[in-house]
Amino acid sequence: MASAYNPIYTDVPEKDVFALHFLQTLSNLRTQNSFSSPDNKTSDRVKKIKKAAYVSMARAAGGTNRLWSRSLLHQAAKRNNKNVRFLRRKRRVTWLMRRRSNRGDPIEDVAAERLRNLVPGGGGMETSKLMEETAHYIKCLSMQVKVMQCLVDGLSPK
Amino acid sequence: MNSSLLTPSSSSSSPHHLQSPATFDHDDFLQNFFSSAPWPSSALDDDAPPPTSDSSLAGFHHHDVDSRNQITMIPLSHHNPNDAVDVNVLYSGFSAGSLPFHFPQGSGGGVMKQSHTQTQSQATASTTTGGTAATPQTKPKVRARRGQATDPHSIAERLRRERIAERMKSLQELVPNGNKTDKASMLDEIIDYVKFLQLQVKVLSMSRLGGAASVSSQISEDAGGSNENTSGQTAAKMTEHQVAKLMEEDMGSAMQYLQGKGLCLMPISLATTISTATCPSRNPLISAVKEAGVPLSPNAATTPLVNVKGASVVTVKDASSVSKP
Repeated sequence: MASAYNPIYTDVPEKDVFALHFLQTLSNLRTQNSFSSPDNKTSDRVKKIKKAAYVSMARAAGGTNRLWSRSLLHQAAKRNNKNVRFLRRKRRVTWLMRRRSNRGDPIEDVAAERLRNLVPGGGGMETSKLMEETAHYIKCLSMQVKVMQCLVDGLSPK
Repeated sequence: MNSSLLTPSSSSSSPHHLQSPATFDHDDFLQNFFSSAPWPSSALDDDAPPPTSDSSLAGFHHHDVDSRNQITMIPLSHHNPNDAVDVNVLYSGFSAGSLPFHFPQGSGGGVMKQSHTQTQSQATASTTTGGTAATPQTKPKVRARRGQATDPHSIAERLRRERIAERMKSLQELVPNGNKTDKASMLDEIIDYVKFLQLQVKVLSMSRLGGAASVSSQISEDAGGSNENTSGQTAAKMTEHQVAKLMEEDMGSAMQYLQGKGLCLMPISLATTISTATCPSRNPLISAVKEAGVPLSPNAATTPLVNVKGASVVTVKDASSVSKP
């Protein structure tokens, strides 16, 4: 997408940033005691890795600057019973504000609901903002998938 | 009578708003109006019709642009007293309340072309996207033209729809297979794609990094070597029998068993397509997978496509990386 065309700011960092964050999170995971013990069930490990993937993705994508990543990190921190407080970003005052009241387009309403359930942090957003977040989320997700794929490929035995 | 046109004398991009004089002397007004030749681009007025129209019109002062309610001022380029009648009509038409107006960016003319006899139609033709809508009739109320509205809510609504459409376009480029013109199907595509990506992350974290140790311990296959190939085959057969047994009891547990091993069900046709497409040299294992598919194929049709990644775990040990789905 040419940046000239797209006035909406949805740039994601390059693959290496994602890879860096992911590997860091993985190595943190490895040093935990509960991880390397063999009596740990596979599903738990899987869940931990998945969580690590998402958290690292959120950090790589811009930390607390983006709405969805902020909500992701918040969820993750809550699960660990860590009380994290994020700085309230000064909200840009637009005259559209945060009206969820949809003036009657049922098609997009239903779809917007589903999107809100999928994209983290989509609970309180207007539809246009939601779609912006979705675009950024999709980009980051695909980047993360590429990184993980490369890792898997690199680590698989010949 | 001359049918003159109202055109902006300067090429300002913002549309000009009309000021509605309550009372004015025609000649005076027109002289004042025409005397200041270059049209100031930021000349605006607030919405309430000012009672003291003379003073406000004379030399029309510049107000700050309020992008929400304005009334355009329209320069008259022709010095024609006969126009006063039309102008008056036009002004009174615009006078009622606020005309919320959103400045369209590239409106090279907020041109109100007004001819003597074609006032209404020309006004219709020349309005920009913001939709100044008053039909210059004698009634003071602003009447919405068909397809446009002067209601601030509908303006906001239109704005909102535009924004959403814009974002939808940019999303369309991101999502593969985004050539659907229908908004509903496009949204469905987007949702499915997000789900697919999330599932991919889950499978990737499961297949290799999470379950590598367990998978390799249970299915003792290894790259190369005929010995290992046969042992791999028997291991696969054992898995297959196990799964068949489980499926008789409960489909869910069978799936869970498979998932624990990092495997999945897939229709045979799909498996053959993939195997021939990715790597032609994995024969012993492919046959095992195919056979595993035989009793299960009627049920296997329901597996989602992304589980191909999981199935490839069985075969990937034989060769190098599987190509990305």
